[in-house]
Amino acid sequence: MTDNHPFLEVRNLKKHFPPRKIILENNTALVRAVDGISFILKEGETLGLVGESGCGKSTAARTLLRLEPPTSGSVHFKGKNLASLSEAELRSQRKEMQMIFQDPFSSINPRRKIGDVLREPFAIHGSKENVSEAVMGLLDQVGLSSDYVNRYSHEMSGGQLQRVGIARAIALNPTLVVADEPVSALDVSIQAQIINLLMDLREKMEIAFLFISHDMSVVEYFCDRVAVMYLGKIVEIASSEEIYKKPAHPYTEALLNAVPGVESGQIKQKIKVRGDIPDPSNPPQGCSFHTRCPIKEKQCEEMEPTLKEIAPGHHVACFLREG
Amino acid sequence: MSQIELDVRNLKVSFSTPQGNFLAVNGINFQLRSGETLALVGESGCGKTVSALSILRLLPTPPAKITSGEIIYSNKDLLTLNAKQMREIRGKEIAMIFQDPMTSLNPVLTIGEQLIETLLRHKSINRKEALKISAQLLGKVELPSPEDKLKQFPHQLSGGMRQRVMIAMALACEPKILIADEPTTALDVLIQAQILELLENLKKENGMSMLLITHDLGVVTEIAERVMVMYAGEGVETGATKDLLDNPHHPYTKGLISSRPHLGSAREKGQRLTEISGSVPTPHQRPTGCAFHPRCDWSTEQCKVQKPLLENTNQNRQFSCHLQPGSI
Repeated sequence: MTDNHPFLEVRNLKKHFPPRKIILENNTALVRAVDGISFILKEGETLGLVGESGCGKSTAARTLLRLEPPTSGSVHFKGKNLASLSEAELRSQRKEMQMIFQDPFSSINPRRKIGDVLREPFAIHGSKENVSEAVMGLLDQVGLSSDYVNRYSHEMSGGQLQRVGIARAIALNPTLVVADEPVSALDVSIQAQIINLLMDLREKMEIAFLFISHDMSVVEYFCDRVAVMYLGKIVEIASSEEIYKKPAHPYTEALLNAVPGVESGQIKQKIKVRGDIPDPSNPPQGCSFHTRCPIKEKQCEEMEPTLKEIAPGHHVACFLREG
Repeated sequence: MSQIELDVRNLKVSFSTPQGNFLAVNGINFQLRSGETLALVGESGCGKTVSALSILRLLPTPPAKITSGEIIYSNKDLLTLNAKQMREIRGKEIAMIFQDPMTSLNPVLTIGEQLIETLLRHKSINRKEALKISAQLLGKVELPSPEDKLKQFPHQLSGGMRQRVMIAMALACEPKILIADEPTTALDVLIQAQILELLENLKKENGMSMLLITHDLGVVTEIAERVMVMYAGEGVETGATKDLLDNPHHPYTKGLISSRPHLGSAREKGQRLTEISGSVPTPHQRPTGCAFHPRCDWSTEQCKVQKPLLENTNQNRQFSCHLQPGSI
């Protein structure tokens, strides 16, 4: 890696989906799932991407890995613009960029043995002479015994299968792993096991993570920095210490307040949010959060705030909290 | 102590499957007191939903079979009632809301049609009056423009709105008991907070008791007065919420509490979460003795062979473990 290029740089990334044709409904609005996000990820760093469902966090991840072509904007990985790569170049680049999905039951082929699932990355990228040994090594790394090679996914529990999903992602020693809600589908006692496993692997293999989650407490635990997304845009980004101690955006504050639990009493200022997330094909004028914001002022309805730095490394897009 | 609204005694539910019969609920006991919220907490497969469905006799039989026990509600054993008597209780005296509001609403009927169904079934009123009450109910669950919502279909509403419709439906006949099965699990955290607050307010307003089924200890702390922790079809610990969470007696309860990262807990860089090793046993391979012993850090030889009984430490606290309270 050359020193002057950031490890991963996302610049003004947009992904708009064309309207779905619905019979008898005159729907022409674009769905602006991701509407201009920018951030930098350092080598070995973990960035959490949080927000409610429909805020565009998963689309952002998929677009970033070029699983979906972006509408506009660029993604530079180790200085290379992913958009300029050919299919073949992109494929070889993907060795370094892997993904872990939310639901292991739907992301692992039920008709194939676990061993074959784990052999596939090596087959695609034509590496390793002794694949079987490598597969055994992978199982060991994620804490599964070697007899799992001959099992099928239905013979395993959700937690065990998510370990397979992780093994597949780390097979080719990636430097970047995008984890899309990797523990949300799992039981509480299993969540802790999987998070610990990811932490061990991160330390051992020096992987940078983009960790997508709606669970604020898991994100605080796992991430170095956090970006909060609302309606396709990043509204606040800061180190996790900073964001949890001094949330600046009213939306971030509301998300933290809404976390049910023993310790929630310590966030003193109670910000409550009414109503639902607006339709992303018809976002509100001005600040997109103003329809639900308890402290909004007139200017919020008219102008859209941009991200401003309020403390070193702490950016927020809110007129009322930028000063 | 306040009056007991619902008394579940030694309930056992078995399922017949191609692999043989297994007990999904293995002799649970709990009492729901008037005006309180009792939470049944546990991981998937622990039998919490099956217990709740047995109360309303909503389990498909076969494969399910209630093999023993009593469920006492206003001096009647619900398990002995016939189908007609049961219909009089379901929805009217004891109502239920489900986890996924998309699949529990009928997609081809308007919200209004679905709401008046309960009212027409249990009250002697006409359609027009029922629609009027329905609109009031939607107002009560804080849905904006309730009259318009009556004419809409479920797919036109968001997840949070649909759950509000479900709650309105459950409250239509002012039930004494509301069973809420993971009512906020499918919802976003901001909407979850709104729905929990709504449930809490409605419970106070209507003087209901609530049986809350959840896997989330956070939700429990928000609205439940008492908790029963379930593992492998059995209640392993029962007590007042705060007391139980501050001072768990059962290793499983302790494990559940400490395996969750707490918001704002001082985080040491790279510090691991406390985990419960292994996974929940399948119902066909129930461990001998204490069902939790293969995953328990404190298990002894005794735990492998002898099943601990549910013991009372004081009036409000029960747990089943061979260890003395305070030793974990």
